[in-house]
Amino acid sequence: MTTLWDTTGTAVVAALAAERRLAGSVSAGLALTLVVVVDESHVAEAEAAATRAAAQHPCRLLVVVRRRPDAPESRLDAEVLIGGRLGPGEAVVMRMYGRLALHAESVVLPLLAPDAPVVTWWYGEPPNLIAHDPLGVFADRRITDSWLSADPMGALHRRAHDYAPGDTDLGWTRTTLWRSLCAAGFDSLSGPVRRARVAGAPGHVTRALLAGWLQSRLGVQVEVSDAPGTGLSEVVIELEDDVTLRISRGGGTTAVLSRTGQPDRTLPLPRREIGDLLAEELRRLDPDEPFAEALEAATGTRGLSDRSPIRRHIWHDPVESPDPDPALTVS
Amino acid sequence: MSQVHAPNPLRDPRDRRLPRIPEPCVLVVFGATGDLARKKLIPAVYDLANRGLLPPGFVLLGFARRDWGDGDFESVAKEAARKGARTEFRDDVWQRLAEAIKFLPGSFDDDGAFDNLARMLTELDATHGTQGNAAFYLSIPPSAFPTVLQQMARTGMADNSTAGGWRRVVVEKPFGHDLESAKELNRLVDTVFTAQDVFRIDHYLGKETVQNLLALRFANTLWEPIWNAHHIDSVQITMAEDVGIESRAAFYEQTGAARDVLQNHLLQLMALTAMEEPASFDAEALRAEKIKVLGAIKPPRDMAAYTVRGQYDQGWLAGQRVKAYREEKDVAPDSKTETFAAVRLEVETRRWAGVPFYLRTGKRLPRRVTEIAVIFRKAPHLPFAKTDTEELGANQLVVRVQPDEGMTLRFGSKVPGSQMEVRDVAMDFLYGEAFTESSPEAYERLLLDVLLGDGSLFPDAREVEDSWRVIDPIEDYWRDHDDRGGRPELYRAGEWGPKGADMMLARDGRSWRRP
Repeated sequence: MTTLWDTTGTAVVAALAAERRLAGSVSAGLALTLVVVVDESHVAEAEAAATRAAAQHPCRLLVVVRRRPDAPESRLDAEVLIGGRLGPGEAVVMRMYGRLALHAESVVLPLLAPDAPVVTWWYGEPPNLIAHDPLGVFADRRITDSWLSADPMGALHRRAHDYAPGDTDLGWTRTTLWRSLCAAGFDSLSGPVRRARVAGAPGHVTRALLAGWLQSRLGVQVEVSDAPGTGLSEVVIELEDDVTLRISRGGGTTAVLSRTGQPDRTLPLPRREIGDLLAEELRRLDPDEPFAEALEAATGTRGLSDRSPIRRHIWHDPVESPDPDPALTVS
Repeated sequence: MSQVHAPNPLRDPRDRRLPRIPEPCVLVVFGATGDLARKKLIPAVYDLANRGLLPPGFVLLGFARRDWGDGDFESVAKEAARKGARTEFRDDVWQRLAEAIKFLPGSFDDDGAFDNLARMLTELDATHGTQGNAAFYLSIPPSAFPTVLQQMARTGMADNSTAGGWRRVVVEKPFGHDLESAKELNRLVDTVFTAQDVFRIDHYLGKETVQNLLALRFANTLWEPIWNAHHIDSVQITMAEDVGIESRAAFYEQTGAARDVLQNHLLQLMALTAMEEPASFDAEALRAEKIKVLGAIKPPRDMAAYTVRGQYDQGWLAGQRVKAYREEKDVAPDSKTETFAAVRLEVETRRWAGVPFYLRTGKRLPRRVTEIAVIFRKAPHLPFAKTDTEELGANQLVVRVQPDEGMTLRFGSKVPGSQMEVRDVAMDFLYGEAFTESSPEAYERLLLDVLLGDGSLFPDAREVEDSWRVIDPIEDYWRDHDDRGGRPELYRAGEWGPKGADMMLARDGRSWRRP
């Protein structure tokens, strides 16, 4: 491990090269570079999650912590590790102070693994517009988490407004196990669907996306209802021939699947750590069309998949205007 | 009649996050108390459950000659899962699975027990919604196959149309002990079940690296142009084990290394290395190509020169003294069973004409390793002084199947310094342990494929028979040799096989790669 205080990007590149030599034969093939954007207060959680994901996808991990963009002096501190506390691969943790925080790409660009895809993950309040953050502009895949926003549903609408192919939201990743149960329950059913309902905590992003997905796949309006608890609690699908499929969280880490005319089944429905969600995201590096369709249905937007996957950087100084475009804040 | 459904609207081919989950079904394990069931099958079932890959209606039904109830089997299975599972053991997952674990006591010649089994399968359709789907795993000695299969035929439980769902059977190697017995077995299995419902497990084919061999060959442009006799000098396929025969003496005495490993694992690896590009990756197309290449493999013409068998003698391995094969428990003191086999085979096609494939396998070799080494021809002309390239070997591409799954490419590079010197360096691609811990174990993958009905990783009857066609003449030659007073050449435990194996390659001006 090398720790550099008040350093430069060039010194970080040199330190990474030196660590690689020191590690002997370079440990493994690199499949991608993962850029993590995080606040100082959440660094430990983000590191733990990224380490877990990196254990399944050989990657170079670049953690960017922006601190006090209003500080008078710019400064860069960095830590370079290979096969250390951040998993078996290569990792660089960078803390950027002052104006440098707004030009983080100047340090990150030379550190990207040559010609490997770049994935940027914001752990914290997602950017209003990804184009405001250069670390998102050069990424092939961008992962936000609307659930972490102060206003999650507002953030989800902003994601739809801002969407470009290659974007995903961890709110969507959290639907995977539920979607998989729905699909499995539906496997031996056929016939038109009369109606469907998703129940969960009010204002829950995952509830909206799951309902949006069902709507886009089943072609019926999906009712969203409130239920006590912190997450999703139930999905009910009624078919025209009076068969009802119901999947409800059975407390703890299981779900109960019930279907008219069949005995109830209890199935595992674990609550996944954020690292596992991230690992699932890293499995695919191409645009996720089913997400785009679910997002369209959940937010009433259209044509998301037809947008250009390429963004152009829009200069935005958070010190001058904390919220650049109030019109974007959808209630 | 199997049910036909409209496609599930919630399954979208673009949606690759959703795992493939089989239809509701029963997995019936014959020999549920055996070694294989405890060490591999039950842990694999648990792992599938833990990953959420089992269908809502799933039942694990054990069948064995024990006076047990569901609970006894469940507790044995729990212990097995706790010990053998690759994923973390979680009590709540087990609780769910435990509700779907049944046991049926009975011996294979007991008509009553099979009538019970047939009745139970029908009952499960009602109580667990299994829709007539069942897979039968024959984790039993081959000698018991005919009895069990006849019982299944008698009770009609192997019949898709009476069952109302699918009925599949899983058979473990050995698939017979020669061509005749294999044909007999295939005839039996394929008449009781339909050929496409028979799954023969060769667990090597479930390994990630073996599947990656197909990706390596057919997804890249780099290798295809040089994957032929113009550029490849020879291919060496090695499967070495450091263990002895452990408690399998009775089986091993009858079998030997060639039948145990060469006939299935090594010939399958060879077929995947040598086959032409399949039209698609479905079971049918893959098998068609494998059968073509297996049919083109010819046993060596000069058996004396190009087949070698060995038997381990006492010696030292990994710092410990180990016994000779003949001193192992239950092995005849004058046993002529081979524990090492090496052969030189050729593939008689335009692509491979003149390229020898050297295959070797053995027990009590220095370390456990399985690899495929493709050795390229040397450059026809080297513009360097002879002394510059003395340390330069042939380029090699090595696919390491186990352990350290991955690939190595060996090529020449200049030694840094003021002189021109070229020597071999290795470039490694490693699926390091850290990156594969989450990938499924071979049995897990194969079991899932059985339940999904995907046969692409399972050899069919024709492949098995074609493999025996290669091995039978070698076994015949060795038997004749025995009759004339011959015996396998001894090698010290902890050596890379008998001298004869080295001589075999030396005769061709080559040498074995040290894996």
